Amino acid sequence: MDPRFTDLLRPFLKHAGPDELTITPETDLRRLGVDSMQAIELLFQLEDSFGIQLPNEDMNDATFATAGSLWRVVAAQLPDEESGRVTA
Amino acid sequence: MPELPATDPAGAQAADGAAPRDTAMSGSAAWAALGAAGHLARVYRGGDVRRGIDVDGLADVLATADARWAIPATLSASVQLATALPVLATGTGPAVERVLARALSGRATLALAATDTTAGTDLTALRTEAAVDTTGVVVTGGKKWITNATTAESFLVLARHRPGRHFANFTWVLVPADAPGVAIRPAPSTLYAGSGAGHVSFDAVSLNREHLVGRVGFGLPVFARHIAVERLAGALWGVALCRRVLTDTRRRLTGREHQEGTLWNLGHVRQRFAAALVRVRELHALTERSAPRVAEHYDLQAAATLKAAAGTTVPYVLGECAHLWGATGFADGGMQEIRAQAALFGIGGGTTEVVLETVAEGAERVLDDLGREVLQL
Repeated sequence: MDPRFTDLLRPFLKHAGPDELTITPETDLRRLGVDSMQAIELLFQLEDSFGIQLPNEDMNDATFATAGSLWRVVAAQLPDEESGRVTA
Repeated sequence: MPELPATDPAGAQAADGAAPRDTAMSGSAAWAALGAAGHLARVYRGGDVRRGIDVDGLADVLATADARWAIPATLSASVQLATALPVLATGTGPAVERVLARALSGRATLALAATDTTAGTDLTALRTEAAVDTTGVVVTGGKKWITNATTAESFLVLARHRPGRHFANFTWVLVPADAPGVAIRPAPSTLYAGSGAGHVSFDAVSLNREHLVGRVGFGLPVFARHIAVERLAGALWGVALCRRVLTDTRRRLTGREHQEGTLWNLGHVRQRFAAALVRVRELHALTERSAPRVAEHYDLQAAATLKAAAGTTVPYVLGECAHLWGATGFADGGMQEIRAQAALFGIGGGTTEVVLETVAEGAERVLDDLGREVLQL
């Protein structure tokens, strides 16, 4: 996951304990504080920061479940060099 | 600047004695007057809705409306200025631009139709549907207690385009009031008839895609941002309303004979009045401090705090004033009627309990804001 993404995500995880400060793809967003209102704010910040628009079909509970699931949707909207994908 | 029409059938005077009040003015007529006077555009930076709210402009227009007209008429303007027009401006296309231009000039009113037939505090349970396909959208459902419903040229309808409670399941649709399948009826409310309050139903209203406003799925995110501005507008208006009512009340108290002096000379009356004054000063200070964060950054926490403050302060102040007016307060259009109307500050746009939940969610940040450095000893 891009450090810009984890840096942006961290302030939203207000229920994270001291042993959960490291964000991994398995980090449970809802359990750590990303409720509906927080998810809306997170969405706006992601789109503004990365200059992307998340597709309507990806804006669902599954996408906002974990840091990894959200990053996959964000990364899919980024140019290859920013998303970390290896191109042929 | 052109003058607003000055009619005063009731012979009432504005709080500062400078402008006559027309408490019978409807919300749509007040909106038209503000538009004809060129005041609506000044609410937005550079006169452009898409650039966001100009806080001073919004405060000036709301204070003007409050000084000239009754609470329902000001409500009619406030909802349009703070929420309906900015939400509409997130869209593009001929239908959106046409309605936006007509509304901004005061030639048409626009009703924000968010509250469904389900509980207003449970927005994600709303049932009104927008069936969207490649050719258009079909709206089916109903909305209740909508300000400007009976006068609106168009409705900005929050509808679900897919099932479930997720925040991305909702979309705004611009529905002309005269479209086949739209039925409007006035709400049974004498207190708020002047705001055009009513219920509206949509029976398979079929429209082309021009009528989709903003991105599909962005209905709630956009609403969340702009309801923050509506809460700021409520606080700005609340300060103006309390100031006007306190001014009227003080004028009455200083002019009402009691023994060798007036009611104003009674200590318990003065203290009761002063306590209300302190509450307005508190609301004013909070509003001044929070306004930039809400207007420029859509700070939901700051907006919720403002709404909670206005929702408790305005009913308190008007309740105190109504009491100080004594039996006269029960006259038609008197202070007791104004007090009853002002109960809306704790209900409309999010009840006090709902916004206090948002405040509680951000308690840590609020406490941090209040902190100061503890000096070494």
